Amino acid sequence: MTLYWIGDAVLLLVVLPVVVYLLHGVLRAARSIVPSVDAISAAAVAGSKDLDATALLLTTQDQAARTIAGVAKYGGSLDVILDDADAVS
Amino acid sequence: MSGAGVVLIVAVVLIVAALAWYLIWTIVALARITKGLDRTIAAVGEIIDKTAPVGAVVTTINTSLDAGVSALEGLLVKKAGVSDAIGLIDGLYPGAGADGLRDFPGSGETTAPRIAEVYTRGVLTLARLGREAPIAAASPNGPALRDPSRGAGAAMGLYPELRQSRPQKMPRSPVIGTDAPVQYEPSESPGVRRRMPGAAAVLDPEARPDADAGTV
Repeated sequence: MTLYWIGDAVLLLVVLPVVVYLLHGVLRAARSIVPSVDAISAAAVAGSKDLDATALLLTTQDQAARTIAGVAKYGGSLDVILDDADAVS
Repeated sequence: MSGAGVVLIVAVVLIVAALAWYLIWTIVALARITKGLDRTIAAVGEIIDKTAPVGAVVTTINTSLDAGVSALEGLLVKKAGVSDAIGLIDGLYPGAGADGLRDFPGSGETTAPRIAEVYTRGVLTLARLGREAPIAAASPNGPALRDPSRGAGAAMGLYPELRQSRPQKMPRSPVIGTDAPVQYEPSESPGVRRRMPGAAAVLDPEARPDADAGTV
């Protein structure tokens, strides 16, 4: 009978506090992750929204090509109407 | 049942209750984490999709810009020479001449003439187009010919004197449009001169078929 009482005492005074302590740690860690995940999710959504303008890069690409083509035509005209440096000197 | 048995049961119930309470709240927290990660993964997937073509597009743009820079630098050096080209760049963008031209290694070490330090761009352009202009004859190493902040006056000096001192003597620009004081009848033969200007003019072009050569 004495062993039963000792077992009860160990169960209540040692095992139960340890179980509660460990589980409380797990719960606290799990709850601490939630705000971080929410922040990461919000940042990812905002980042995705910011990248909506990347589609405009295709327009930029086309505009750059057209601009360079225009510059090439303009430069070709200048090449024709202006003397070369070595030709002048 | 003995007292020890009752205490044992109570202890086990307490432990199970603690386990259940904490584990339920842990499950709730993990469920919220899972939802948050799902949102994050979806957003990251969108980011990946949206940024996928960026590399190729930027590479294409850079290639086009590189070609443009090379063409412009080549044209500038071909027309002005390396030294004057650096002088022009340094004059328009002070300090930029030290960087040199990308396609011409060592051009940044060129001793550039003081081109735009004295003359504005307009004067410089006129001077280079008309190489006989007086301002082009001055040595770039000499003193400043004028105040750079008054560049328009030097540019005007390249034109005939009448334009500077007596602009009111110059003929007025013609007035055109429906409200013009002089109205002309529409031509019956547009693009063909009725008479040639100068001594060879005739009143009746039909009398001289060869005078109808003045097609505009």
